[in-house]
Amino acid sequence: MNREPAYSDALPVWLIAATGVAVLISMYLIFVWVPMESTMGVVQRIFYLHVGSAFVAFLGFIIGGVASIRYLATRRNRFDDLSVAANEVGLVFALVCLSMGSLWAKPIWGVYWAWDARLTTMLLLALIYVAYLILRESVVEATQRAVVCAVVSIFGMVDIPIVYMANQWWRTQHPAPVLSGEGSIDPSMRFVLYFTFFAMALVFWCLVRLRRRLEGLKREAEALRRAVHAV
Amino acid sequence: MEENLKWLWAAFSVAWALHLVYVYTLGSREKTLRDQVRDLKAQLEERDDSPLA
Repeated sequence: MNREPAYSDALPVWLIAATGVAVLISMYLIFVWVPMESTMGVVQRIFYLHVGSAFVAFLGFIIGGVASIRYLATRRNRFDDLSVAANEVGLVFALVCLSMGSLWAKPIWGVYWAWDARLTTMLLLALIYVAYLILRESVVEATQRAVVCAVVSIFGMVDIPIVYMANQWWRTQHPAPVLSGEGSIDPSMRFVLYFTFFAMALVFWCLVRLRRRLEGLKREAEALRRAVHAV
Repeated sequence: MEENLKWLWAAFSVAWALHLVYVYTLGSREKTLRDQVRDLKAQLEERDDSPLA
């Protein structure tokens, strides 16, 4: 039932071009076009990439979790490959989100880190995926590795609503949601946030394709190693 | 405001540095795997060409 997936060697030119253009436009919007926020000043511009990265990390973990469910249902390697790629790239974006948040907090809160519910749950989410990657390297047998990692990936995905709702369920220092309702941001700021999310989603997709190709190569190397050792 | 510019600069530098480091690790992992695949294929071909095969 395990079919060997074949991934194309190069990223499509249109995808690279679209990603490059979208990233440049998003940087222009963040640094030049969007109006200055009156309370925090220039440092508020961190918000767009910080929140955009958080959204992309969630997207990655959801894709990873859904691919894991599909792997458990079908046992097709392509879903395991997609799961590890989306989860690993999602972790990169989660680290970007955490580090940018920390560098925003220092001038605004006076500290790099606070053990606030939103920050702590986001850190725990990232640590779940660090554990996922360690586990991936520790289990030798391929099917067992894929099954165990799929379970951890689904567990991680379930944590996402807890992170998202943390600043509504608990009293936190982290800013309240600003996309809708009372105290929501200016429409131009919302547009820049959504566009940055779109640009980061394209970066995410490029990285996922590169990472998935790596998984295809790993599988090829494992198959060749078995053939070499079989007498 | 100028005082806070360094935080903005630091945040974006860290964000793009993380991406670049990740792309670099992807490239180096891919190179290692391609070398392994090439070596393993050569070993297999060598074995198939040997007089004992």
